[in-house]
Parts: sequence; structure tokens; C-alpha cells
Amino acid sequence: MQAIRAENLSKFFDGRAVLDNVSFSVEKGEIFGYLGPNGAGKTTTINLFLGLLTPDSGRATVNGVDLGSDDEARRRIGVLFENNGFSERQSAYENLRYYGRLYGMEDPDGRVDELLGMIGMADRAYDPVGTFSTGMKRKLGIARAILHKPEVLFLDEPSSGLDPDAQRMVRDLILSLSATGGMTVFINSHHLDEVQRICTRVAILAGGRIRAEDSIARLTASGNESSIWIAFEGGRVPEDALLSLRSLPGIAGTELEGEGIICTLTGDAKAPDLISALVAAGYRIEEVKKRSANLEEIYLRYVHTGEDAS
Amino acid sequence: MNELRTIARKEFFQAITNKGVLIAAFIFAIWFPVFTTLGILAGISGDPGTALAGHLASLSVVLAIFMGYLFSADAFFREKKDGTILTLLCAPVSLRQIWEGKVLGVATAAYGMTILSVLITVAVAFAFSPVGITLPWLLLVHLAIILPIYAAASAGIIGAAQLYLGMRENQFLGMGFVFLFIFLIFGLQTFISPEGGVTVQTELFFFVLGLVLLLIGRRWAGRLSKERIVRTIA
Repeated sequence: MQAIRAENLSKFFDGRAVLDNVSFSVEKGEIFGYLGPNGAGKTTTINLFLGLLTPDSGRATVNGVDLGSDDEARRRIGVLFENNGFSERQSAYENLRYYGRLYGMEDPDGRVDELLGMIGMADRAYDPVGTFSTGMKRKLGIARAILHKPEVLFLDEPSSGLDPDAQRMVRDLILSLSATGGMTVFINSHHLDEVQRICTRVAILAGGRIRAEDSIARLTASGNESSIWIAFEGGRVPEDALLSLRSLPGIAGTELEGEGIICTLTGDAKAPDLISALVAAGYRIEEVKKRSANLEEIYLRYVHTGEDAS
Repeated sequence: MNELRTIARKEFFQAITNKGVLIAAFIFAIWFPVFTTLGILAGISGDPGTALAGHLASLSVVLAIFMGYLFSADAFFREKKDGTILTLLCAPVSLRQIWEGKVLGVATAAYGMTILSVLITVAVAFAFSPVGITLPWLLLVHLAIILPIYAAASAGIIGAAQLYLGMRENQFLGMGFVFLFIFLIFGLQTFISPEGGVTVQTELFFFVLGLVLLLIGRRWAGRLSKERIVRTIA
């Protein structure tokens, strides 16, 4: 069942297309990463889903409804924007209790205590939010977003400003919300490593259009399935190794990386044949790794070349 | 209804704990009315109760409008300053409910400050008047019914204007708005009741005009789109 759906969504600002016929969907319980450079239209997309903007054409629905015209449906949605959105003069406790009541919780105090304990801020519960660090506000923002146990959670750069410990806490939290609570999570992020660790599927947006949309496993597999990395004895690449490799059949390209060489093979070439040829030529090989592209490489390819997966 | 109370309660406590706004409100609430009242007492020729009641009736409306402006400008501008407006717009409440909750909370604080000012002014007048003063009962009606309406109308129109204009901290615009408000009210009052004072006729005039202004603010806020707010604050 689809929790989030964009159908031919377009939005223009001052005659310029910020989103151009964007379509994708997110299944219930999925953790979906929405990637793109600054100005690509990621925040505009979230604002369209949340009903803060009206599409010029197409539809943006969450749980099958347009949130802009259905106040009640927003009760099942949690959101964290890039700026955390807290009253600076109110305490953490007051801020959370306020939003709990706005979302219809009769007595939010118990849940507020539970969440403040979970994010390790119980001892700062009654301090004004204005005295908190960026990371503390971010953790508190996530607590506020899940306070009312929403079905769908929109997170804009959730790890922004967090230290590694807190980043891990947020990652684990998101994974557990999806795994145990069945929550659908939509993440806008530049933090590609984080997205690769927690998201089941991603869409890459550039120039107002979706360039790729698939599971991370499929995207990275399609990116570089025929590359291997070879390290030589002694931790150094022999001077003539690059030239020798290029002269072998089945090699599409070579490039130095770290203490080894990346070899890109042509479609019919086999890695064991290449290694045998190198050994026969007298090279002493210490390590060979099949190399898969990471999300960053895939992202950069789609964003910089304007390539389209379809 | 719960959501309305929640927003109103928060706005009320934010208003009465904002030191900067409170200091400005106190100065305006005490300095201006007390000194103008002492001036009125010094020049009284007829019944001091009637003269003082007329003065208090006009003065308190000005005070309620100004207090409404002062607290409301802070309440709406704060949403932009703290970056809370987008999160609030995503909550399961309509824009009109947000406006109503804010106006209710802010107007309560503004009304309280206006009443405090009137009480201090009356106490000063009683203390410094050379003759005994008896205030008419209509003044109580004025304080209990007319003032909250004007505090709310002022807060409401300023709030709707802030939402419309992207919650910019524009003091000139705010003050211009307040003076326009005051001139409109007293211009019309002079037309309807040239002798001034507190009469059933003036109270009815104040009541109807205040209600109309409040409804204008409510209608304006209700017709605003979230898209306008999101795009103007950016």
C-alpha cells in the first residue's frame, strides 16, 4: 500500500519550473531517501506533500489524501524541518507538551518524559530551548516529530548538526520506527552515507526532475558491476603496472586508487582471467576486491551529467 | 476547541513573560494615562465623575488598541524569528484556528494590561482630585465588554497583516496601522456623538465598530493561503 505518492507533480516559481512532472511513490513502512543538490526542489516537494504549497499540476498525496485540504489527516503525519522550529524561550518540556496537545493528545506528559529520556535530555527538560546546542535542538526536533506516533514521518536533513553518537542514535531510531512501528519515513538529505545505511529506496532529483528511483542495492549494482580493485605486494603499485593492464584484453579503463588500481572490465571480460594474466606477467598480487559503486558515486553521476536512469 | 485553548494559553504566557514587550507596555500603560488624567483633573469645570469617565472611556480604547498591537506584533513575528511557523502550519489546525488562538491569548494579555492601566489611573485620579468623584456604571460596561473587543480587534488585524506580509518586523507599518485604527474610531465617534463621554449611544457605537473590525481581521486571516505565508517568509 502506498503511503506517499507524487503524480506528475509540477511547481513553478516566477515562471521557472522548480519541479517538472515528478512522479514517484513510497510504500507503507518504507524508509525513502530523497536526494538532490541545493535548489533541486527537495524542500518544495516536501512542502507540496505537507500541503504548505499547492501544485501547479499533478497531485501530492499522503495516505491517499491531500494534506492541504484535510486538517484531520495531518494528525497522522510527523515533520521535522531543517530549522527545528522551537519556541526559544520555552523549555524542552513545554515545547513538546504544546505540540502533543496540538496533535490531540489528552495527556502528553508521559510520552514527553519517555522521549526526553530516550534522546538523553531528561536532565535538560526544563531549560529554555534557546540555551541548547544545534545538536540538542535536532534531537528534540526528532522527538517532537514522533511524539504523537505518526504513520508517516517527513524528515528534512535529520542528522544536520549532530555528532557521530547522536547520528547513530537517530539512525537506529529511524530504523526501529520503521521496523517495529511500521512507520513510513521520507528523508531529505545530503548525508549520503546515512541514506545508504538506512534507506530502502531512494530517488535522485536534479533540475526539478527525478533522475533515478530504485533500491540502493540495484542502483549501486547497476553503477559499477565490472570493476575490481587490485593491490600489489609491498603496498606499492609497480611503475609499469598501469601500462601493462591497459594492454591486456577486456580492460575498459584503469585508474589509481589508494595503494592499488581500479580496473574496469568490458562486458565479456572475467576477473579471474585478468588476475591470471597479471600473475603470468610476473606481478605479485596481494589483494583483489570486487568493487561496487557507493551511493555518492551514483548520486554524482546522475546530478552532474544530467543522466536519466530511464 | 482544545487546540484553540492550547494555542491561546501558550501565546498568553509568552506575552506575559516577554520582558522587552512588558517594559514597553508598562511605560505606555502608566506614564501616558496617569499624566493625561492629571491634566484633565486640573482643568475640570463641571462634574468630575462625568469628565473622568469620558476621558477614561476614550483613553482605555486607545490603550487596548496599542496593547493589542504591542503583544500581537511580537506573537506573530516570533513565529518567523524562531522558525516555528512551518511546523505550526503542519499541525492539524487550520490557519484560522491558529489566528484565533493567537488573538485570544494576546488579547487576554493586552486586556489585562489595559485594565491595570485603568485601575492605576483611577487610583491616581481619586488620590489627586480636590473633590469627590463618582464614576457612572456605564464605564464598567465599557471596561468589561468594549475593551476586550478592541484589544482582540487590534491584535487580530495586526496579526492577519503580519501573516499576509510574511511576518516582517515592520514597526512603521504597525504604528501606522495603530494610528489609522485610532483615527478611524475617534473620527467616527465624533461624527456619531459629538459631545463624547460615556453614553449608551457611544457604547453601542464602540461595540458595533469593534465587532466589525474583529470580524474583518478574522475574515482576512481565514482567506490567507499557507502558500502565501511560506513564500513570503522565505
